[in-house]
Amino acid sequence: MLGLFTVVLEVLAGVVAVTVLAIVGVRVFRKVRQRRRAALAAGPRQALLAFVADNGEHGAQELVAIPDDAWRAAEPGALALLGKLRGEAHLALVSVFLQRGIARTALGDLHSRSRVKRARAAQVLGDLELRQAVPELCRLLTDRHDEVRVVAVRALGRIGDPAAAWRIIASLDRSDPVPSLLATHTLVQLGAEAEVTLSAALDHPQARVRAVCLDALGLLGATGSVHRMARVLREDSYLDVRVAAATNLGKLGTRGALEPLQQALSPSRPAALRAAAARALGELGAPSAVPILADLLGDDEFQVAHEAAHALRRLGPAGAGALADAIESERTQAGAHARPSASASHAQEALALSRVGAEHGERVGAGA
Amino acid sequence: MTAEVIRDILRYTDVTIFVYFIALNSSYLVLIVLAGLEFGRHLRRAPFAGADDMFRSPLTLPVSVIVPAYNEGPGIVAAVTAMTALRYPRYEVVVVDDGSGDDTFERLRAEFDLVEVPRVVPGEVPYHSRVLSVHVARANPETLTVVRKTNGGKADALNVGINLARHPLICMVDADSVLDPDALLSVAKPFGDDPLRVAACGGVVRIANGCKVVGGRVVDVRMPRQWLVRIQVVEYLRAFLMGRTGWSRLGGLVVISGAFGVFRRDLVVEIGGMATDTIGEDAELVVRLHHHLRRRRQDYRVIFVAEPVSWSEAPSSLRVLGRQRRRWHRGIAEILRKHRGMIANPRYGRIGLIALPYYVVFELLAPFVELAALVLLPLGLWVGAVDLAFVWRFVLVAYGYGLLVSLAALFIEEVSFHRYPRWGDLVRGVLAAILENFGYRQILAVWQVRGALGALHGRRAEWGVMHRTGFDTGRESAEPVSVGVDR
Repeated sequence: MLGLFTVVLEVLAGVVAVTVLAIVGVRVFRKVRQRRRAALAAGPRQALLAFVADNGEHGAQELVAIPDDAWRAAEPGALALLGKLRGEAHLALVSVFLQRGIARTALGDLHSRSRVKRARAAQVLGDLELRQAVPELCRLLTDRHDEVRVVAVRALGRIGDPAAAWRIIASLDRSDPVPSLLATHTLVQLGAEAEVTLSAALDHPQARVRAVCLDALGLLGATGSVHRMARVLREDSYLDVRVAAATNLGKLGTRGALEPLQQALSPSRPAALRAAAARALGELGAPSAVPILADLLGDDEFQVAHEAAHALRRLGPAGAGALADAIESERTQAGAHARPSASASHAQEALALSRVGAEHGERVGAGA
Repeated sequence: MTAEVIRDILRYTDVTIFVYFIALNSSYLVLIVLAGLEFGRHLRRAPFAGADDMFRSPLTLPVSVIVPAYNEGPGIVAAVTAMTALRYPRYEVVVVDDGSGDDTFERLRAEFDLVEVPRVVPGEVPYHSRVLSVHVARANPETLTVVRKTNGGKADALNVGINLARHPLICMVDADSVLDPDALLSVAKPFGDDPLRVAACGGVVRIANGCKVVGGRVVDVRMPRQWLVRIQVVEYLRAFLMGRTGWSRLGGLVVISGAFGVFRRDLVVEIGGMATDTIGEDAELVVRLHHHLRRRRQDYRVIFVAEPVSWSEAPSSLRVLGRQRRRWHRGIAEILRKHRGMIANPRYGRIGLIALPYYVVFELLAPFVELAALVLLPLGLWVGAVDLAFVWRFVLVAYGYGLLVSLAALFIEEVSFHRYPRWGDLVRGVLAAILENFGYRQILAVWQVRGALGALHGRRAEWGVMHRTGFDTGRESAEPVSVGVDR
């Protein structure tokens, strides 16, 4: 037993010493590597900044001629710069990347066995906004690793080719789909040209797909799809989808959304849907919704009454007037010292926030 | 005959304790290795993680940051100013003044031009105190809300904050925490990446003592000046950063620090908010969340992100440290007692079969075993059950293995995040890992045993008062912060 202890102690002492040496070794190695990389990247970084400052008109050949090891050290900075640039400077820098063969390498890496390499390659192609890469990136939407699919979706959004819309929508219809919010954002990035595809996908059998398309249509302000969205609000079998329809109809800001939203406020509808419809009416900005929202202040459901009050607040003077009337009428009926009812409390809260906002606006206006 | 039996019992007990120490440190080592793998995975993916896309997306889930505050006057304005300047597309800060006796509220009112608004508190989660008034910042009523209420404790203050939170994600932050600018973005990101499954996400808490804090941001990370706090730095690295990352990778995370964690609001409301009958309300919430979601057979994840971080001030005196550790251990004991039905219950999967039994054997009982070893080993030596050669080897192997575990944590930190850039800090870290074994661990065990016994006897929990030294702000004299989270 003692012999075993002694051996264990010796081994332990050795491992402890090796660990301490390893800590020191890692630090030395990192410092040396950092210094070397900083030295290598210094020249290319200056050249890059001068190139960008010159709007990409001069210096492209110098950047292309930078030796590979120095470019590798400067590449993360160059890619970060790419994301911040627009217009001519962006196109010029992309051209430098293309001439250096970065896109070709990335396209090749999309077939790599390593998922990290595939994801990195997709990220680079998205940063370069390379339209030729769209078919390959669409193929990546069925990659067996979710992290690769996620990067591919983001890259497609950055490229913004509406031809990818169906493939992105299809990537939502699987057992482990890409995150809905990411897909929505990407579909919005594809622009108004994707509206027809998104509108058609409102008939998709998968509820998640319909909800994502509704969100994308709302953010795109797709007024041409108002009737289809209203139909989803009326008829869809999933409550979450109907709530998404109500929310996004409000974002469209078009008169055609008013009637379906008012219908969704019917007491027979679920509370979550009614609350969403009340909020959407506030977003819509239609003063004609004021009477119906004022009626909802006394609703038994907290969320419905709360949203109605804040929707009235967003409707400007007409809504504020209705809120003030609700408070005043209760004061008249119950007396000034009576405890306010739930409807009056909601109205007071919204009115107070409305006044705070107005006061601040006036101050800013006066300051300007 | 009797003496021989006693000697045999002591001999076997000493060997059992030795095996226990080996198992305990081996389990730590496994968690540290898992954390190392996770950090490697995280760092390889950083270039395409999409944090900037998340920041730019109009669809990023908005967050309500809930800040319970009790007598935080000296530091509250700087803390709230920093929290309202985080890099995140849409969020609100809800400060809940839990009946402070100092000028916490007055300072906030003066700085942010607060204006009182009538607000209906929904009561979706129960709270026992009385809300006195609700205020918003005149310049930005949607971003900052300050609630005044009668004193009811931290859990009760959080429940009021949860009721008033308007966004689908809630982030609980201590009022003296200093968050890295991207901290909220990182901790909320898993909810965007996997919105259907992620139920909660914890962020790492590091020690801010000794660091330079400018404008509510940690700008220069340094080791603290006192050895007591340096030892805690190593301890935080080993237990919080590595331990929790390891558990997250195993799918068995049961503790998210109340100092920095994000939860889905709907789920927190479903389970009734924070429990007010336990002193470890943060960990209790996570265990209850597991209980709820496992019973519902829902596919979900509770995860931990290792960077960026929240920085907190650690106790720099034995008295305050003792109170903190008694409270922490009492919290563990209370939670395990409250949820004993989950322990070793296959219905709760890895939580029931691995995580909670581990907490019983290697967290709750560890200080008892440590103290037992301190008593029984000399006793065994005295009655002749073990000889001196055995005892010194036993002690060296047990503590040597503990040292190796701490060094492994320092190694992983050096490979991955290397937040302490100075050579001197590295040396101090290694020395602290050694010094931890001489007195610190033993006194810690005493405090922890007292905390666990306090839970057993149902004695009233004490929050106490912590005198804070404040952070190094780069000026000649930092404003001393008298009272903080350690209430």
